[in-house]
Amino acid sequence: MSRSSSTNILDRPLGRSGGRSSDGSVVSLSAFAYIYSELVQYHQGRAASISELERRLESAGYGVGLKVLEMTAYRAKETKRETRLMSILHFVSSSVWKSLFGKAADSLERSIDHTDEFMIIDYEPIASTFVSIPPDLGQLSADAYVSGIIAGVLDGAGFSARVTAHSVNVEEGEYTKQGANAVPGLPPRKDKAVFLVKFSPEVLSRDAALER
Amino acid sequence: MSSKTQAAQAGQALWAKMPKANAELFALTYGSLVTELVRDYEDPIEVNNQLERIGHSIGVRCVDEFLSKADVAGLGLATQCGSLRDTAEVVAKCGFKMFLGANAEVGGFSPDQKSFSIYLQDNPLSTFVELPPADESVGGDDLRKLKYSNLYCGVIRGALEQVNLKVDCNIVRDTLKGDDMNEIRVELKEVLADGAGDDYKEE
Repeated sequence: MSRSSSTNILDRPLGRSGGRSSDGSVVSLSAFAYIYSELVQYHQGRAASISELERRLESAGYGVGLKVLEMTAYRAKETKRETRLMSILHFVSSSVWKSLFGKAADSLERSIDHTDEFMIIDYEPIASTFVSIPPDLGQLSADAYVSGIIAGVLDGAGFSARVTAHSVNVEEGEYTKQGANAVPGLPPRKDKAVFLVKFSPEVLSRDAALER
Repeated sequence: MSSKTQAAQAGQALWAKMPKANAELFALTYGSLVTELVRDYEDPIEVNNQLERIGHSIGVRCVDEFLSKADVAGLGLATQCGSLRDTAEVVAKCGFKMFLGANAEVGGFSPDQKSFSIYLQDNPLSTFVELPPADESVGGDDLRKLKYSNLYCGVIRGALEQVNLKVDCNIVRDTLKGDDMNEIRVELKEVLADGAGDDYKEE
């Protein structure tokens, strides 16, 4: 880490890839949870409805997503930008997830009913680890911030998409192993986070054109 | 001094046991919060107050987690601070270490032992942050008056309030403004009587 504060911030080194191995690049999960809870509380105080709150959280995450894209792409030292739909989705569900949450997303699925919809599934999303949604806010997912991050990453890469977060119950036996993010002492989570990614039509037609 | 190394070792042990999260995501999330505040309040002094208030709310809750984890680890020192000096060591060496993984130093004790400073070399909140240069021609608010890490002041004030110590915290030096390290000045105002009152005293 450069000690002289007169170095231009843009000239400072970005650090190693991965970013989890050295002590300087982790904080405790509780610290993140406290900051995130204050962010949600702040927006909740200013939003009139559930969808407005979700929109605020998503736009809070959007800017973060743009920056995360730059950092992750730089650190992965890819020499080419991703131009194909499947490759950008793989990039998001593995590289971006690994750098943000320490492990790749648990699964990436394509929707059967809609060709433009994909789902990224995370069994232990850290944003909603310590959040309980009261019944009168039923549809809200605390991971709206993360879906904003994903939308930022995809938009920055040229694949505009609408990303929403949903909490889906985990079936019996669907997921038994305790992931890297499981907090010791807490019971296993009853619901997983599903991030529904709906690409815009021009992205799909562009991808189809590239196929030929 | 033995309590100094005890606190440091305790801090290391507590840090090792905490589940971790990415520090950059943490810094970016805080940045998103500050950006939102600046957009809504515009006046940097008001933003500083809001950050302090938010920090206070965090401090009130994190002290419970800290005390319970320190207790479980068998480190009674967290509950047995005999003097402000011990409290300062515990806050800096255990508290900051456990939550942020940051190495904080204590010093600058005043002659009446009622205030001290916490020195933080690397501030996890301000990774990637740069304050815009003061620009009178723009006519906007001078964001150099913004105390970006004012959250810490609120956290320390809130946490110590829960253990009956009323303190005032200020950011004295800030690396974002060009100083060589971050310094938070903590002043003890008074030791409060037990808040619950006579009704809750055990028979």
